[in-house]
Amino acid sequence: MNLRSWVAALLFVLMAEPAFSQQPVDVGRIKVVTGSAFIVRAGALVPAQAGQAVFQADGLRTGPGGRVGITLRDDTRLSLGPNSEVRLDRFAYAPAESQVGFVLRIVRGVVAYVSGRIAKLSPDSIRLEAPGAIVGVRGTTLAVRVLPE
Amino acid sequence: MNSRRRIAALMAMSVAGLVWSCGPQQIRTPQRQGQDLVVLLPDTASGEVGRATVSNPSGAVDLAAARDSTIASAGQPPTPVSTMSEAEIDRLFGDALAALPSPAQYFTLYFRFDSEVLTEESRALVADILSAIRARPVPDVVAVGHTDTMGVSAMNFELGLKRANTVRDLLVEGGLDTSAVEVVSHGESDLLVRTADEVAEPRNRRVEIAVR
Repeated sequence: MNLRSWVAALLFVLMAEPAFSQQPVDVGRIKVVTGSAFIVRAGALVPAQAGQAVFQADGLRTGPGGRVGITLRDDTRLSLGPNSEVRLDRFAYAPAESQVGFVLRIVRGVVAYVSGRIAKLSPDSIRLEAPGAIVGVRGTTLAVRVLPE
Repeated sequence: MNSRRRIAALMAMSVAGLVWSCGPQQIRTPQRQGQDLVVLLPDTASGEVGRATVSNPSGAVDLAAARDSTIASAGQPPTPVSTMSEAEIDRLFGDALAALPSPAQYFTLYFRFDSEVLTEESRALVADILSAIRARPVPDVVAVGHTDTMGVSAMNFELGLKRANTVRDLLVEGGLDTSAVEVVSHGESDLLVRTADEVAEPRNRRVEIAVR
């Protein structure tokens, strides 16, 4: 191993360490990305890539012409059209511990939602929160468009 | 206001009403800034229509039929349900709908008694699972191992895990990235066919696989 690889390995360990120590559980994965699309994580914008994990409290944001689609652990599917933003306020899918629920905040733009297993186990635990109303979901497919003030 | 003026005002109002009712009928109120539009859609694969409730402190509206829609804003009850045209849905939501990932696909593989060896029939299905995985640009897989109720439940948890690991190894051999497979065991706690304890039931000796 040459010096450059040692430095790279050291940097990798230093950068990876906090992520391992926090052990956040991923709630789903990005499956579809077109144009400008980002994960909003702890206030920072991370360019979205297919295959990437998303976590509770993450946001998704698209720019003009951007689109993004994710599949959550319970097989819920969610996608955003251009100029849109949502936040995964709560996602729990541990049926064995009776911990299931999904709260999605829709900040602006266009969103498509297809319910997953949580809707079958505990439909009352699902809420899509828009600025002017809350949508309770019994399944299965919904589209929401939020035009903020 | 004298009576002549009142008559003039009434006439003006009825003329205005006449003009308004003869004009192009707006089927639905267009959505404005500060408003949320919610529409219920049929499932793309099954055509099944679900149900949703749109509510705020001023009121609530049920969406129950295909393309039922309502507009909501803070301080006002959601508008009565109106049906959106397919063209309008496509215009407003086409981009978002095009970005929906493919639905998950499900498979079940069965195992021999007290063993992590697949039955002959199930072994032949592995190729189908692999082609479902290869059809996806960024696949991930969850394999949940199960057992029947023969034996001790702690041992069955281990057996369920071994079965799920067998499936993971087969899929990884077939080219799936190890980091894209999650392995779980439910042991004897989630029976497909409900039985009493200590019952050998081949249909409960399985691994359920979700490809997404």
